[in-house]
Amino acid sequence: MRLPPIPTTLRIAALTMLLVLCSNLALLGFIHARTYDDRLSPLRRQVIADARALSDVQASGGEPELSGAIEDMLAADSSELTIGLFDRDGRLLAGNIKAAERKPADRKADFQILSVVLRDGRRGEAGVVVSNLKGGGWLESGRLLGEPLALQRTLERALMISLALSLLFGLVCAVILVHFVRRRVRAIGRAVDDFGHRDLDLRAPTNGSGDVFDTLAERINAMLDRIARLMAELRTLTDSLAHDLRSPVGRLQTKVEQALTVEDPDERNAVLASVMAEANTLTHMLTTVLEIGRYEALASREQFGWLDPAELLDELADLYSPVLDEAGIMLETARTGPLVPLFGHRQLLAQAISNLLENALNHGAIGGAVCLFAEQRGESQHIGVADRGPGIAPEQMDHALRRFGRLDESRSRPGMGLGLTLVQAIAHLHDGTLELTGNEPGLKAALRLPVKAHRALDSEIQRP
Amino acid sequence: MTWKILIVEDDADTARYIAQGLTQEGHVVDVVQDGRDGLFQASSGLFDLVILDRMMPGMDGLSALRALRASGVQTPVLVLSALATVDERISGLEAGADDYLVKPFYFSELMARAGVLMRRQRTAGEAVETRITVGDLEIDCLKRLVRRSSQTIDLQPREYKLLEFLARNEGRVVTRTMLIERVWDYHFDPGTNVVDVHISRLRRKIDAGFERPLLHTIRGAGYRLSAEA
Repeated sequence: MRLPPIPTTLRIAALTMLLVLCSNLALLGFIHARTYDDRLSPLRRQVIADARALSDVQASGGEPELSGAIEDMLAADSSELTIGLFDRDGRLLAGNIKAAERKPADRKADFQILSVVLRDGRRGEAGVVVSNLKGGGWLESGRLLGEPLALQRTLERALMISLALSLLFGLVCAVILVHFVRRRVRAIGRAVDDFGHRDLDLRAPTNGSGDVFDTLAERINAMLDRIARLMAELRTLTDSLAHDLRSPVGRLQTKVEQALTVEDPDERNAVLASVMAEANTLTHMLTTVLEIGRYEALASREQFGWLDPAELLDELADLYSPVLDEAGIMLETARTGPLVPLFGHRQLLAQAISNLLENALNHGAIGGAVCLFAEQRGESQHIGVADRGPGIAPEQMDHALRRFGRLDESRSRPGMGLGLTLVQAIAHLHDGTLELTGNEPGLKAALRLPVKAHRALDSEIQRP
Repeated sequence: MTWKILIVEDDADTARYIAQGLTQEGHVVDVVQDGRDGLFQASSGLFDLVILDRMMPGMDGLSALRALRASGVQTPVLVLSALATVDERISGLEAGADDYLVKPFYFSELMARAGVLMRRQRTAGEAVETRITVGDLEIDCLKRLVRRSSQTIDLQPREYKLLEFLARNEGRVVTRTMLIERVWDYHFDPGTNVVDVHISRLRRKIDAGFERPLLHTIRGAGYRLSAEA
């Protein structure tokens, strides 16, 4: 049979109480062990020795001898000795103890601590040994505990009381703690509820302390960010599909219509070829939109592996150098610092850089030079393409990254305004960003990718 | 030469379109419409090529393919699917496909790819050729040396790879996408005419100054390396 689950708050409360109790017990034990025995054991030895001496006297000379011996001992040193010889009715026969109501249980020969009242008015605790005598009387001999030991006893008693108090404090502490925990967790829970029901902009509160609740809230916020981003993505996707696919479909319709009316077979073939080209563009567009959606959803990381960024750039330079050459553009490659291996998707990174090169080829050809660069900058690696063309005005850079976001200057040229968006989606898939900056003149487009594992050795690079 | 081809495709229109085209080319075609039947038929091992859709009733294409490969059938399989992203393609190839073509597709692309697979099928048992000749062009695959009419041609490593791929598929049309996939190992469309420019550079090296060109451009399809025009 399983126990019903214990609520976490109750566990925390119980644990807090237990810990407070334990710490007090430990303190008590420590004080006791550390000092009590040190001081008490010489006293105990002395008391036992005294008792033995007296009982020897009693054994050899009987009670009169014993009374004499007691008087002698007290005369010699009365500062701490407590001795009393009592008859069966508890009347003092000899010694300096005023009177004693000793219960039969206390009358044992072992060393023990009892409180005594002396005839000279002193009172206090003493370590004593009580020995029963024939005829029902008893002999009690001992020594007062003295200042330090008495203090010790007081301290111990105080600690015992504090032990009881500690249970109370533990309880209060637990209640407060549970209250705090519950308040923070409820706040997070409320934020999540509100996010779900009302507003995608709401986030769990954080106080910047970096504690577990803050971390939890931050994690949850990161998740909410991602959900919000995906929702926004979905919205833009459907919007853009609705708006931006209309024009190519429209062009397609026009061309098909045109093809139907053309009589001349050669001319009709030409129109049909352009229908085909239009259909190709449309297919390409759909594939790209789909890919952007997938990568933004961070859905395809199974193909990630270690790769050498330098090799990646070399391969792309190899692929593009003839085209750039033909277009009269000089291709430079620039690498700064030793490049650590990247953990990424070779195909997609290549596609991203290929898109950037295409962009440079289509929009920055006038500059006559394109630079394929890779830089190691602290925790991130910048890989990208810089051209010397007209560039993009700073206020238009955001627009250039938007899906189907074509800048007015380039409307007349082929393209569908998805290239940079795809590159950005690939950057996001790699936990990175796409940065567009001016190249004075021209455009510098860089994939800024975080360096994942510094310890990755070259030998770990898997080459596909 | 007649091939026996199995088409596993649940969309009747697409299946008919492919079957018609292949029959016109003189091949024998069987069509089944779900994955389970496809697996059953293909397991016979009697086909030269299987064209396999991915999303089908009964059993999806990749599961059928894995089962087929697990049972030791090595018939070339060309996956034909609307699942177009790079990862989908890679997972198709990893499941044991010999090639992956994305829908919508052109019939010429399908034929070119099927042709390459068939050649590979026929030469599967033989040792890889270390010496290829196309007309008066000679390629020494071990030393990576290329000669034409006993005149050595100096090629860049990538140009050599391009030529070797074309030469191994001598007389067959090879599309731009196939070249990007096989020569550069990229599964995306680079957009501009990057492949065309590489081809024209290669052509300048192997055809310039010779009377008969070997490297032909097939309009709307791709390229072909052959001694005949």
